[in-house]
Amino acid sequence: MINIDLLKEYFPDITVNDDYIFVEHDAFDVISFLKSKNYVDFDVLTQIIATDYVDFVQLSYRLYSTVSNDFLNVITNVQNETSSIVKLYKSAHFDECEIYDLFGINFIGNDNIHRLYMPESWVGHPLLKSYVQNDERLVWND
Amino acid sequence: MNYILSLFIDFLAKFDVPREVALVIFPIIPFCVVAAALILVVLILVLAERKVLALFTQRKGPNRVGIWGLLQTVADAIKLLCKENIEPNVTDGILFTLAPIIAFVPVLICWGIIPFSSEFDFMSISTSALLFVTIAFIPVIGTVLAGYASNNKYSLIGSIRSVAQVLSYELPIAFVLLSIAVLASSLNIKDIILSQISMFQVCGWYIFPCFLGFIIMFISSIAELNRCPFDLPEAESELVAGYNTEYSGMRFALFFLGEYAMMFASSAFIVALFFGGFLSPFGFYISEKIFSNNVIAQLFVYFEQAFWFFLKTFVVVFLIMWVRAVLPRLKSSDLLKFSWKFLLPLSIINFLFICIFKYFVLLGGIK
Amino acid sequence: MTNLLKTMEINVGPQHPSTHGVLRLVLELDGEIIKSCKPVVGYLHRGIEKMAESRSYLQYLPIVDRIDYLGGFFNSYAYCDCIENLLNVEIPVKAQYIRVLCMELNRIASHLLWLGTFMLDLGASSPLFYCFRDRERILHIFEALTGQRMMYNYFTFGGVRFDIPNEILEDISSFVEDMPECIKDYENIITTNPIFTSRCVNKGIITKRNALQYSITGANLRASGVGLDFRKSCPYLTYDNLEFDISYADGGDAYSRYKVRIFELYSSLKIVEQCIDFIRSSSEPILNKSVKPVMLNIPEGEYTSIVEASRGLTSCTVKAGGKTPYRVKWRTGSYYAVQLLPELLVNCEVADMMAIFGSLDVILPEVDK
Repeated sequence: MINIDLLKEYFPDITVNDDYIFVEHDAFDVISFLKSKNYVDFDVLTQIIATDYVDFVQLSYRLYSTVSNDFLNVITNVQNETSSIVKLYKSAHFDECEIYDLFGINFIGNDNIHRLYMPESWVGHPLLKSYVQNDERLVWND
Repeated sequence: MNYILSLFIDFLAKFDVPREVALVIFPIIPFCVVAAALILVVLILVLAERKVLALFTQRKGPNRVGIWGLLQTVADAIKLLCKENIEPNVTDGILFTLAPIIAFVPVLICWGIIPFSSEFDFMSISTSALLFVTIAFIPVIGTVLAGYASNNKYSLIGSIRSVAQVLSYELPIAFVLLSIAVLASSLNIKDIILSQISMFQVCGWYIFPCFLGFIIMFISSIAELNRCPFDLPEAESELVAGYNTEYSGMRFALFFLGEYAMMFASSAFIVALFFGGFLSPFGFYISEKIFSNNVIAQLFVYFEQAFWFFLKTFVVVFLIMWVRAVLPRLKSSDLLKFSWKFLLPLSIINFLFICIFKYFVLLGGIK
Repeated sequence: MTNLLKTMEINVGPQHPSTHGVLRLVLELDGEIIKSCKPVVGYLHRGIEKMAESRSYLQYLPIVDRIDYLGGFFNSYAYCDCIENLLNVEIPVKAQYIRVLCMELNRIASHLLWLGTFMLDLGASSPLFYCFRDRERILHIFEALTGQRMMYNYFTFGGVRFDIPNEILEDISSFVEDMPECIKDYENIITTNPIFTSRCVNKGIITKRNALQYSITGANLRASGVGLDFRKSCPYLTYDNLEFDISYADGGDAYSRYKVRIFELYSSLKIVEQCIDFIRSSSEPILNKSVKPVMLNIPEGEYTSIVEASRGLTSCTVKAGGKTPYRVKWRTGSYYAVQLLPELLVNCEVADMMAIFGSLDVILPEVDK
């Protein structure tokens, strides 16, 4: 299992729970620490889950270790932007593009970010709770 | 041809038609015969291919139009004829139309060169085998034009592949043809066939001394025909349909028709070179045994020869279809490597072997 | 003045015979060599995650089969598993075995379709028909069992909808008996075919490091030398009571992926065999009657299911929020495999593209969701 004390020592302001680690604002440092070899080697990022809680968007990074067969959930609340973890896990690129597309979160450090599903001209971010369906501003031009 | 010509002149003379008129009319007949036979054979081939593939994949094949689906290809042909001829805006108009014609016409000429029996030899010139190989190469120009004129990247890649492929497989064919020419001491297809007559019947066929040559020729012919496993120019999983992506209706039908007619012509060429062409495999003709009347027997022998020719050709065609049912497609780079690094040296070795064979074994046979 | 060394940009898809749906690849070609590749997805985006937010839990159930239309049972199970865990209900053992049986049969059907289309991509048309012939038998079984050939909607919260009649069990066991012979036939015409091996061996190598970096799972990962199978490492349903082997290969190339999938066909058959034995002997109920699916009202909570689907790890995350899910998130295997394509295709020939792309077993509805 993961060594919680060691993690606490490095990052005093995180909340460690039974099934998740909560980080304020930016999870990049924690994830990069979790990924490093001196800790349990969390070598796979299975997915990033974004959820819109109206005031903020919650990002949940699901890490997995093929060595110890552990799942880990790193949660962070973000407003508009956060650090990209593409440098750590290349698989994050599509996930980040998807979240950029559907939630409007910008990932700093991912230079190649673009809308994954929606056309570039699409207005709004569909998975936000505030998204208006059949928006009149939407012009079907491509 | 002379025998039939004299029969034809005699026949017209009964209706008081002068000899000169008969001489002028006569060449039209073989043309019509070839054209009709070609359409018929292609219709049969397309159906046969579908039936054979169905056989290999445990299906029934076309079975709705006509008995056993016999009219399926007729229905398809009518559909193709009636279809609108779609031409994209950006094509090179004249070349776009010209390409299928260039691809198809040489096939017709190839058909004319092949002697279907000792009398049905329409274009008998002394180097007809060489002429066949040369003309069989021309359709690739049609392919290139099609790829270029379509203004489509897939078509272009397909046609470039086609040229590379045909160029590299032309050489092994030439070397095999050369070894056959050495064996037969002739470049006339009819002479090559006749020189395969031997007292040991089937053993006189050139497949026995030149089996390696047959294998090379068979592989190279498939490659020249752009058929599986060498169907790279129209590899549908990569290039959609290759050089004929933009073609529809009758223009597409010409490519299609040309491909199948060429398949038959190439098979016929292989049969002529290796399997004794129109010779009967029994060493005698059944018609000779049946008919006591010499004139009728002679006439029927010609048709019997044509029958044997077609039968053998269809066996080779079946082999080609069989290959298609079994093998996956080669990669273009492997395809070229296979030709230049394997088939070409092999065909040269085969040629040297045949030369030595001819010098030591058959030398006594040369008059 | 034109630049003779200019590369050609070619657009493969979204309507292309071998992109298995609507993937679009923008390739930059230098002759036949691919210089760069950019996958463009989203042509099949149906907003499956957004749809959940305006439907009740039961109304969403039929939709999830459409995420991967070749492996509907996996998605169905992943979703049901979430709801069952959020409600804290047990499902009867017999229902668990039926679910395993269905999923393994589905895995066989999915792999057979992959094998057929993969060979078609390589230009061999016959294997497609053999594979479809055998896949058809599975689809007939599914049709008899669930009334549908592809979109089953058979699993429900707390179990499965119908019991398996004995006749269908007979069908399944005769299929399991015949199948090993058929697989041997495929191997006879494919495995040692020199053209096939020349096109697949050492083509599209995914290194172990890359596979983990790109979050590749399932058979593709196992072909790269990682023996990770969530049926073994995080057993769900009754997988820990069943005997089966997982295989992995070290090559990481298209040929290894083919070998791993062929082996999976055998191991799935083995699982199906064991399930049939149990289902025959059991007379338990097939549905936990305590679940009232129609007016489900689940208090806030979150659960992520983990399913080893035919294309890798499929997991469904449901965040409950009363009468409708607050958020549903799907994680599928193909989604990450598509992302790997640029890495694999650069400096390959166009002809290799088909072998590599085909061997990854990508299906687009799963990517676009």
